[in-house]
Amino acid sequence: MLRARVLEALGTVYDPELDEPITTLGFVGSVVVVGGAVAVRLRLPTPQCAPNFAFLMAADASRALWRMDGVESVEVTLEDHYTGAEINATVNAGGSFSDAFPGETRGELDALRALFQRKALLARQSGLLSEVPRRLGDLHGPEADRCRELRRALGIDASDDAAPFVTGDGVPVDATDVRFRRMASMTALSLETNGGMCRDLLRVRYGGEVAA
Amino acid sequence: MYEKDGEKYYIVDSHLHFWDASPANWVKGHEEFAKGWIECFHAYQGLGPAETHWSLEHFQKYSVEDFEKDVFTDGYVDKAIFQSTYLREWYTNGFNDIEQNASLLDRFPGKLQVNGRFDPRDGAAGLEQLEADHAKYGIKGLKLYTAEWNKGSRGWKLTDPEARPFFDKCVELGIKNIHVHKGPTIWPLDKDAFDVSDVDHVATDYNGELNFIVEHVGLPRIEDFCFMATQEPNVYAGLSVVVGGLMHARPKFFAKVMGELLFWVGEDKMLFGSDYAIWEPKWQIEGLVDWEMPDDEAFSDFPRLGVEGKKKILGLNAAKLYDIEVPAEFQVPGAADKEDAQLVEGAA
Repeated sequence: MLRARVLEALGTVYDPELDEPITTLGFVGSVVVVGGAVAVRLRLPTPQCAPNFAFLMAADASRALWRMDGVESVEVTLEDHYTGAEINATVNAGGSFSDAFPGETRGELDALRALFQRKALLARQSGLLSEVPRRLGDLHGPEADRCRELRRALGIDASDDAAPFVTGDGVPVDATDVRFRRMASMTALSLETNGGMCRDLLRVRYGGEVAA
Repeated sequence: MYEKDGEKYYIVDSHLHFWDASPANWVKGHEEFAKGWIECFHAYQGLGPAETHWSLEHFQKYSVEDFEKDVFTDGYVDKAIFQSTYLREWYTNGFNDIEQNASLLDRFPGKLQVNGRFDPRDGAAGLEQLEADHAKYGIKGLKLYTAEWNKGSRGWKLTDPEARPFFDKCVELGIKNIHVHKGPTIWPLDKDAFDVSDVDHVATDYNGELNFIVEHVGLPRIEDFCFMATQEPNVYAGLSVVVGGLMHARPKFFAKVMGELLFWVGEDKMLFGSDYAIWEPKWQIEGLVDWEMPDDEAFSDFPRLGVEGKKKILGLNAAKLYDIEVPAEFQVPGAADKEDAQLVEGAA
């Protein structure tokens, strides 16, 4: 099995808070493939990165690897994190968030994930506001593709004839709506700023070496 | 005091620390957390200019002499507001508790203001401690760190019912400035710990009585913070981390973040804080005074920040909140006439 395929699979795993693949963020520290056994080490910008997002990335990585053909075993290790022991043990046993933190959580992470997908959808649309599409099918390029993915994940109509712009809740909105434009650009700024800070902290923490 | 191009700036640093994170202060069995915390802070220092970086050893524990030099001698600061952060689960004597901070009061008379804290999970004992801290140090403000661990709990929210008696006590005692710092954990863990909606609720409930200064402007939830702050007259933007973490490392983002803050929150409600010892105040103050909103198209929607606004952000706004007397030579013309009606006045 090729490392390249493993990295490709990991490229489908997004940091839920930043809406960027963990591969481009540099969160994949190492990949070891021996036959059908895959071992991946993940590393985050700080030891105190929020446990819920950290768990989602580790669990999503594990699932993405198990989906690959020919995989016989998967080991995901979150390095140097203050809840790493709980997360690693649970993710590799196929457990859920509440298994990792019994008594410390009311539910699973679906609502949290959806909340950030809505933010990401709002933010992504800010890059498309210079266009004057009549329908979603008129929008093209990576940002538009990501909007479609996010809409599908959120159960919002992503067909070509659907409204080109929607609020985070999926309500169609006019591209000239000042409030929508302002919120979209501010949310995009927030995501970009956080992503920048995460990259900077990761670089300071682990040096400049390129991941994987 | 900082002077540039004939303009004089009175500097209130509204967010700094005198901490001890040296290994001797690490709680046995929790060493990895104590170590991880300070190393994380140290990494943040790496976002400032290279010539201002410290060794990790120096960063773990610095002396009173270092503090004096960095903050008062070289750092232009006229009045410094200590934010107490306890973290006793990780640091035996606390990270920088109120007593450690207050040990510097006699050394720098008139230059330091010490803020306290509370933790609603401490219950009646915590309320008594808050009263005692107020009686002893005359505190006018608090720093609340919601991600703090306490006896098996990994954090709390301002809307927890247990917190209400503490806010009521603050009103009663005239402790009117509540600095809020969000961190990565609260119970339950499946919620977004950085969410600022709890600040929104208590700010509404205590409008006219308490001010809420959201440190590092709610980063990483700046969009939620701006949208909330624009609707709440008693919510302020603490610029710690914004200046230190972005101005040098990410100047374009810094300009946009400042632009959004100026648009949504406004220059009357933004407070400079160096977050020392994460970053020294000197370069941050010099840089902020020199900073101009870029001219290109991408920034055309944002308000500009002039000398008056910079004077407010660097000191005059915090001076109002903390009843600090600022000599006339530093005042902004006409500021007295347009006294902010939303401001919470002194203790009743």
